[in-house]
Amino acid sequence: MTTLNRALAMLALAALVLGLLGAAVILGSDYEDHRGLVASLTFAIGYAWIGTGLYVWWRRPENRFGALMTWVGFAWLMHAFVSANDDVAFTVAILASHLYLAAFLHLLLSYPDGRVTNPSRRRLMWFGYALSVLGPLPALMFGFDSQRDGCCPTSAIQVSGDEQLGNALDAAVNALAVGVVIYILWVLVERWREATPPQRRAMAPLLWSGFALMVLVAGTFSASILTGMGSLTDVLAWASRLVFASVPFAFLIGLLRSHVARGDAVGELLRRLGEAPGTDGLRGLLADALDDPSLKLVYWIDGRWVDRKGKPAELPPPGDPTRMWTPVELEGQRVGAIVHDASLAETPGTVSSVAAAAGLAVQNERLEAALAARLEDLSRSRARIVEAGLAERRRLERNLHDGAQQRLVALSLTLRMAQGKIRHAPEKAEELVAAAQDELGTALDELRELARGIHPAVLSDRGLQAAVEALAVRSPLPVRVVEVPGERLPEAVEAAAYFVIAEALTNVAKYANASAATVAVRRVNGHAEVEVRDDGVGGADPARGSGLHGLADRVGALDGSLSLDSPPGAGTILRAEIPV
Amino acid sequence: MDCTVLIVDDHPSFRASARVLLESEGFQVIGEAVDGASAVVEAYRLRPQLVLLDVQLPDIDGFDVAARITGHPDSPAVILVSSRDSSDFGPLVSRSGARGFVPKAELSGERVQELLL
Repeated sequence: MTTLNRALAMLALAALVLGLLGAAVILGSDYEDHRGLVASLTFAIGYAWIGTGLYVWWRRPENRFGALMTWVGFAWLMHAFVSANDDVAFTVAILASHLYLAAFLHLLLSYPDGRVTNPSRRRLMWFGYALSVLGPLPALMFGFDSQRDGCCPTSAIQVSGDEQLGNALDAAVNALAVGVVIYILWVLVERWREATPPQRRAMAPLLWSGFALMVLVAGTFSASILTGMGSLTDVLAWASRLVFASVPFAFLIGLLRSHVARGDAVGELLRRLGEAPGTDGLRGLLADALDDPSLKLVYWIDGRWVDRKGKPAELPPPGDPTRMWTPVELEGQRVGAIVHDASLAETPGTVSSVAAAAGLAVQNERLEAALAARLEDLSRSRARIVEAGLAERRRLERNLHDGAQQRLVALSLTLRMAQGKIRHAPEKAEELVAAAQDELGTALDELRELARGIHPAVLSDRGLQAAVEALAVRSPLPVRVVEVPGERLPEAVEAAAYFVIAEALTNVAKYANASAATVAVRRVNGHAEVEVRDDGVGGADPARGSGLHGLADRVGALDGSLSLDSPPGAGTILRAEIPV
Repeated sequence: MDCTVLIVDDHPSFRASARVLLESEGFQVIGEAVDGASAVVEAYRLRPQLVLLDVQLPDIDGFDVAARITGHPDSPAVILVSSRDSSDFGPLVSRSGARGFVPKAELSGERVQELLL
């Protein structure tokens, strides 16, 4: 027997003892008219609450709702002691006799998880408790004895026989109670309005009975202010007890209905899965089955969540009060998830049964989503290639303009000046021509560098090995070329491999703070495997910079793949696999 | 009196060459600026008779600079220069308030004088 079960059994036992004690008090009462009837009703109502509460508590221990229902039942049982013959017991029982209403208010405000988090509703709850206990005080303290007509024991705490003062204070308390009840009604309407359809369905039995009870309680208090303890007050009081008694049954019926509804939902879903899906696809069927129009279906593809169109999707974080998700698995493999209204968790098992039934269908849609995701990746990569092309042209234009073109302009001006000096100052002209030659040399260097960046001539003429060796020599840090195939590879493969190595070596020189690097190109299983390693600081972020993205696109266009392994402090390895 | 000149260009090599060339042909270079904002400031501070203004500057372009420093009776004359050809710019030169355009490679005192007349 678990600790919880033992505790629940102890509570059941305590309820039984309290019940027997209360029964003894009622049956031994000197002034109660229908002792048998009163005793039976009191215990039927109390045990209905406690029994339902303990059941819910046992089923869902993490939810405090069951505990609260049990507490309402115990608070109700205090009623029995109003029949006590002893003055003190009677007085205490009167003070506690409205506690069940405050406990019920607590329950209403805390639905569905048993917690009242909203601060103003929390204040309302505590005010309810205070009013329920302190409310009967004026009547008990002032002029109680003169009103009781020998109907019950005397008040143990009467301080004055001033009947009028007692009446006035009692009417004031009742008016305050009516005001509070009206405010509670408003809060309940507000809760109803802010609830989603699944939440409304789940909270309906409790909320409507709570609404009816609060209206009757307000009526009872109003009647007692206006007509005193007359027959109307009695009728309303009994009617409110009747409604109060019905709440646990309504709650149980709600539970049972959701159980049946779950079976129906799964049956209906299985039947409709055979039909052609509507435009909304499987999502629509699941939304109908669970009656949650806000439901979303996401798919697990290559370690990430995507929607039906292959676009990245996000799941609600744990602890989100409005949304949650339930995984969909097929043969132990995760294939997707149902993102739904959090209130569906009130009927545990419903969503998971539907998820289990929909596994195969989700898997089918997942394949569609995977295709869409691949197309989405492709179109994004194509857009990046176009953008990279444009950026490359802008860079080339800028480099030509700022570099070689400016040198040639200066060269032209210098030559013009030299021309003017040839006759009068030939020495000055010679100096200017020498400067022009320097300028021309620099312009040629810059053009050469630029041309190499567009497409290195050595690569087309002599192949990858020579081009990589040239890269290694030009690199500012020592680079060892471990191996590169001597034979020629397809032009596109050679170019992709070359630019991967060139970009990687540039990044090593710029960011890695490395002392050396190695380069290797191997032919493995019909692939060219390019690897650039350094002994630098590591921690390279693949998302940073457009250089790596551009390389991934270039390699991806040849159906290859690019991977980066860069643990902090342990160097970086960039690998590319390109099918040959 | 020699014509006073402000040279505006972000390339130091061009500023140096243009200064030597213009000074050897009788112009008096009284200042240099490296971008559009400082060109506007220097034009008001030095009050040159001529501003030799590169089109492509790092901040605002030469057309905007020309529009800002011309249009008053005592505004300097502006001559736009670029390593590009004037046909690259279409009607922008004539709309900018500048006296004219000289490709950088063809810059000479003679070309400048022609535009100033």
